[in-house]
Amino acid sequence: MRALRHAAIVWAAIAALGGCASYPTGLTTAAISHLPAQVELTQVPFFAQQQYQCGPAALATVLQSADVDVSPQDLAEDVYLPGRKGSLQMELLAATRVRDRVPYLLPERLPAVLEQVAAGRPVLVMQNLGLKIAPAWHFAVLIGYDLTARTLILRSGTTQRLVVDMDRFVKTWARAQWWGLVVVEPDQLPENPDLERYMTAAASLEAVGRLDAAAQAYIRARAQWPHSAWPAVGLANVSYRKGDLRSAEDGYVAALELDADNIIARNNLAEILAGRGCIAEARMHAARAAALAAGTPLESAVAATARGVDTATSPHHGAACSRL
Amino acid sequence: MAGLFRKTVVYALIASLLGLGSPMAAQAEILGTLAGLESARRGADLERIGGVLAREQVREQMHALGVKEGQIEARLAGLTDAELRTLAERIDNMPAGAGLFELVGVVFVVLLILEAVGVIDIFKKFP
Repeated sequence: MRALRHAAIVWAAIAALGGCASYPTGLTTAAISHLPAQVELTQVPFFAQQQYQCGPAALATVLQSADVDVSPQDLAEDVYLPGRKGSLQMELLAATRVRDRVPYLLPERLPAVLEQVAAGRPVLVMQNLGLKIAPAWHFAVLIGYDLTARTLILRSGTTQRLVVDMDRFVKTWARAQWWGLVVVEPDQLPENPDLERYMTAAASLEAVGRLDAAAQAYIRARAQWPHSAWPAVGLANVSYRKGDLRSAEDGYVAALELDADNIIARNNLAEILAGRGCIAEARMHAARAAALAAGTPLESAVAATARGVDTATSPHHGAACSRL
Repeated sequence: MAGLFRKTVVYALIASLLGLGSPMAAQAEILGTLAGLESARRGADLERIGGVLAREQVREQMHALGVKEGQIEARLAGLTDAELRTLAERIDNMPAGAGLFELVGVVFVVLLILEAVGVIDIFKKFP
């Protein structure tokens, strides 16, 4: 009886510490009906991690699979943080961007990960192998699965082919917020891509100045989602940043034809029009952008554009101004 | 004379900080695609510190965390403004993937718990 009570206390203590909630794998019949029962990407390279350096090893694995010639030693200089004895997720994204690859973060569920593996893409995952209060953060690469045996195959740490139980993996993965990353070449798309996730990843290339890779990704996105204004906005922004204002202006106009309420396209078109002396048109677009941006995080930036346009002079009647 | 010189320098500095008379105003800055997507996704998110300040803070933090001087700029180059702000605030306690080497500590904690609730009796063996 006493032993039983002890066992119950221990169980409660561990459950409280680990948050021992059981996480469903989400593998409903509908979610996996389109997947092959077994996949293993045997050609994915393996790099045994050096001490604490699972980040560089896992990242080298997925980058090489996306045709980037890079070693874990090279990547240690980019993503290993000595003072933290580990690597941060954001630095893995950054190192992917500077190599002109699209860091696509997957939806937080197992079927979304398996679907990438089935399409031939290894998935970099974060796990917490320890407990919530005593975490042991780890990066590994998922390279295969077996739906019947309910197992997953990982390149992990110093183990080239680690076979783990699905439910057990999901527990460690859930403790790392179901973080999963695929590294995609900019002229390709991940399997079953999500517009917002893909555009965010592509736009992050633009944001750090990888303009050619960003443009490739935007072109690919435009082919996939012809009705979305965002790829056009992205391409116009790349043109602008490269100094091709003519293409940029055409691009913003095209984007506004797809979505008249796109704040970025309105704002940036106002900027260009003001720059070439079309003040009345610029004011119209800036005012519209300011109205759309009210209450959003863009409000102050758009208001600044509107002020700049309002104070702009040098009316210039030669050029054709009216575009929309 | 020296006072006048100092005053001039101070005013010039203030003017340059305020962006007055900056020759770089030739091309206005556009709004990035990422800013638009992030704005559409999240609700109002007040940026507590600006991008430039965040970059400077992360530079110092990386230095303090042992990144070699020559590697810091290359590492900052791939980070977005939003990421820099997050790092500036949380670089010391964000999850850092390390691998199984940390597990020794976890085993120790579990043993301690088991000891505390009386299931095991390892530690009392050592006086």
